[in-house]
Amino acid sequence: MAKPDQEAEIINPPNMLQIKIGGPISAGDLHLIEKAEEAMKDLRGDFGAWLEEEVVKLEEAAKVVKETGLKGDEGEQLFIRAHDLRGLGSTYEFPIITRLAKSLTKMIDMPEKRQEASRALALAHVGAIRAALSQNIRDTNDAVAAALAEELETQTAEFAKPWDTD
Amino acid sequence: MTAAAQADYSDKRVILVDDNAALRGILRAALQSFGFRRVMEADCVDSALEQLSRQRTDLVITDWKMSPRDGLDLVRALRAPATSPAPFVPVIMLTAYSDGERIKQARDAGANAFLVKPFTAATLATTIREAFEDKREFITTADFFGPDRRATPRKAEADHQPTFIAAS
Repeated sequence: MAKPDQEAEIINPPNMLQIKIGGPISAGDLHLIEKAEEAMKDLRGDFGAWLEEEVVKLEEAAKVVKETGLKGDEGEQLFIRAHDLRGLGSTYEFPIITRLAKSLTKMIDMPEKRQEASRALALAHVGAIRAALSQNIRDTNDAVAAALAEELETQTAEFAKPWDTD
Repeated sequence: MTAAAQADYSDKRVILVDDNAALRGILRAALQSFGFRRVMEADCVDSALEQLSRQRTDLVITDWKMSPRDGLDLVRALRAPATSPAPFVPVIMLTAYSDGERIKQARDAGANAFLVKPFTAATLATTIREAFEDKREFITTADFFGPDRRATPRKAEADHQPTFIAAS
C-alpha cells in the first residue's frame, strides 16, 4: 500500500460510525453523560481499596529506591508507579494525590533527571502521598496539605528547571 | 433549532487496553452508560492485537504507559497496513500527560484523539465523539500510514475541530 519516494496516497477510511452518530454534543448526550457520572460514582465504594493498592505499589518501589537509589531500573519503576497515581488520584477522588504524583513524575520522568534527583525529595513525595491517603486528606482545603504540596512542587521545580523546555 | 440526535453506540464494539483493571472498570461503567453494549478489555498490547484480529472493532481506547509494550506500540502496530488487524480503527490515547511533544508523538504514530487523565464522563464522551467523527483522510507514504497529520483543515472541513484535545 505504501509508495516510495515520498509520494502520498490518500485514502478515505471506511468510517461508517460518523454516518450514524453525526452532529455535535446534544441534549441527549448530556443525559448520557449524567448517567455515566452516576455509574462512575456507584464505584466509589471501591475507590479507597483501589487507591490503597496503587499506593502500596508506589511504596514498594520507593523501598527499593531508598536502598539502591534512583539511577537504575529502580528509578524507572518509581516513575511508573507515580505516573499511574498521577492519572488515578483524582479519578479516585483524591486530587491532592494527583498533584503530589505530578510533582514526583516531573522530578524523575527522564533518566537524565534520575541521575541527579534527590532520593530524599522523591521519598518525601511518597510519604506525603501515603499521609494524604491514611488521613483521608483529599484536596488542598487542608492547610497543612496545601503547604506541603506547594513546598514539594517548589523544590521539584527548582531541581527540574534545567530541563524545562517551556 | 432542533435537538441533535443522541449518539447511538449500541452496535459498536470498543476495546479498552489498560494494565490497570480498576481503570478499565471505570471506563467500562462510563461506556455502558453511553450505550456501548460490546465492551472488550485487554490488559496488554499483545492481548489487544489478538482480540482485534478475531473480531471487527469500532474503537480502541488505550492507555499509553504500559509494559512491556506501550500504547504507542499498539497504535504503530495498528497503523501498519500490511500486518494490522484494523488499520483504520479510530484510536484514543489515554495518558496522564498533556504536553505538546507527547501529543505530537501520538499523532505521528496515527492516533485519532488524546484524552488526559484524570478524565470526566463529559471529556470522555466528547473525545469518543471526536474520534468517531474524525473526517481526516488517511495518508500513506513510505514511512507513515494514518490520519492526515497536517494541522490545517481542508476547505470542506473548515468547521471541523482537530481531534487532539487535552481534557482536564
